[in-house]
Amino acid sequence: MSTTTFIRTGDLKGLVADLRAAGVGVAGPARTSDGAVDYRSITAFDDVVLDAQPRNSLKQFFLPPTEPLFKYQRKGSDVAILEISATFPPRVIVGARPCDAAAVDVLDHVMNWDYKDEPWFGRREATTIVTFACPGGDRSCFCTAVGLGPDATRGSDLLLVPAGDGYYVEVVTEKGKRLVDAYPKRFGAGAGVDATLSYREKARASVEGHVPARPDVIRQWVQEHFEDPFWADISLRCHGCGGCAAACPTCHCFDIVDEPETLTEGTRRRNWDTCQTSVFTAHASGHNPRADQCGRCRQRVNHKFAIYPARFNDILCTGCGRCARTCPAGQDVTEILNRIVAMATGQGGAA
Amino acid sequence: MTELRELARRLLSEGTVNAVLGWEEGPRGARPAFVTTPDGADRLIFDHRCVHNLASYLSPRRPHLKRLGKVAMVLKPCDARAVAGLIRETQVPRENVVLIGVRCGGVVTDPDSDATLSEATVADRCRGCPDREGKLADHTVGTAGPGFPGPSHRAQKIEELAAKPADQRWAFWQAELEKCVRCHACRQVCPMCFCDRCLADKTQPRWIESSPHARGNMAWHVARAMHLAGRCVDCGECERVCPQGIPLGLITRKIASVVAERYDFRPSDDPAVPAPVGTYRMDDPQEFIL
Repeated sequence: MSTTTFIRTGDLKGLVADLRAAGVGVAGPARTSDGAVDYRSITAFDDVVLDAQPRNSLKQFFLPPTEPLFKYQRKGSDVAILEISATFPPRVIVGARPCDAAAVDVLDHVMNWDYKDEPWFGRREATTIVTFACPGGDRSCFCTAVGLGPDATRGSDLLLVPAGDGYYVEVVTEKGKRLVDAYPKRFGAGAGVDATLSYREKARASVEGHVPARPDVIRQWVQEHFEDPFWADISLRCHGCGGCAAACPTCHCFDIVDEPETLTEGTRRRNWDTCQTSVFTAHASGHNPRADQCGRCRQRVNHKFAIYPARFNDILCTGCGRCARTCPAGQDVTEILNRIVAMATGQGGAA
Repeated sequence: MTELRELARRLLSEGTVNAVLGWEEGPRGARPAFVTTPDGADRLIFDHRCVHNLASYLSPRRPHLKRLGKVAMVLKPCDARAVAGLIRETQVPRENVVLIGVRCGGVVTDPDSDATLSEATVADRCRGCPDREGKLADHTVGTAGPGFPGPSHRAQKIEELAAKPADQRWAFWQAELEKCVRCHACRQVCPMCFCDRCLADKTQPRWIESSPHARGNMAWHVARAMHLAGRCVDCGECERVCPQGIPLGLITRKIASVVAERYDFRPSDDPAVPAPVGTYRMDDPQEFIL
């Protein structure tokens, strides 16, 4: 797909209204009661806030923090499984950021690895992602170091870039084309790609250079330095709170729990989990292969920049910088990656 | 700053301590620092962005810090309450830590803030704080501004909530706790949450459901509030760390006011004052016992 079109701001408002009138759920970055900006359900395009990176990512739209898998009933020594019928109503996300849209695509690998995760792909197929090119990031952004960029199209169905009195539209996928074709009056002629170039360049300049674009160097160093004292050094300040994993668009680990609701009935659920806690790896015997926070901090970097690349040839990070912004102790992934590149290329790196 | 750095350098070079826990300039503002060499003392800073409660790092639940050996810790007056709590509850032997008190006239809320300290930017817990220096400290350095008058906005919010009928309070907390994703970050940063194995992590039996649904979230936050009764030092770290923006301080502060009213106990920097959870007096209120 490489067609392009244009939508005026007024028509974008109309499009959201059209979608809502057609019974399609619409979500986007909007203000919360505590003053933050989160991706959440919206009632009109006027709710959308585009100048701040949302506090949460898109992952909860596809992997909810808690999700019932099935119900069970015990009868004597038998257990009956009661399926929970899952339906995935159509939904459009308006105002996704390129780093968040890409994250969903990155996660498709693992969700379709040893089995196809039905709820994940059920929601993926029901959801159209309309991404807005990023206006530029802060010092913790580094999307260009992981093969993305403020106007990357990965994971998006449509990419909108501000131009003239509206948005230049790149139609990225068939699903994106279906959305455009369904509302033909909302799209039409307008400013061309040339009108978007300065916006794109300004955004790219604001995030470039924060981390060297050397993912192979990082991967190799991490693979070869499992026992390096670097890990103990960076983990000192870590509280193991897992705030980084909750905020991360690509951290996807989950726990499976059975919750009794009566003496004979209960629900099996899956809930967000994180490798930053001790219980994540605690064995029933009492042994814990990751005895302390050193191993847990290493695991987070290792999984994102070495294990996932080795398995799927893809980096489990989109450079959004949320982990650095959310960390209560000032742990900063850009600093960690810079130190790794410096050590790997023989330019020092000690704190 | 020079006074702080010189003292840290001396403690490290004389071998009094192996590490100094303080603050440094990080990529995103002030952050905790772990200085292990005399030269590293020059990294230390203290200003109104040093909001973190470093006492959390003294908690025995952080085995990866044990390798540092004996440490000195830079101490705000309010953090002294947490250290006193850890000593009071026999988690940290007093002689195991050297406390470098810094005089403090208040901090902001966000360590990444470039705002200057003012009536508009000061952290709510600093409003009305009478302490300019921590009495628990072995050394005290620096100078402090005059502090900020109370009352805190949060205290007013608690009063507003308390004045509402029960169903409205219930609706407020249902809406707030619905946001919780049960990451337990509030527990992890809390200096007073030091259990080796948390009630919420126990699975045989599962006392508190780990799922972030209304039932599990309510059970967790009620349990957390009760376990911090008479122990919370109001450092605000739980609220600062919450990735969902839940006003957790409203819960802990409300409980603290109940404990103050009924048991005449306010967390102080004196570890010798017995904790209400660990003591029994014949005149303790007990009309709730059936």
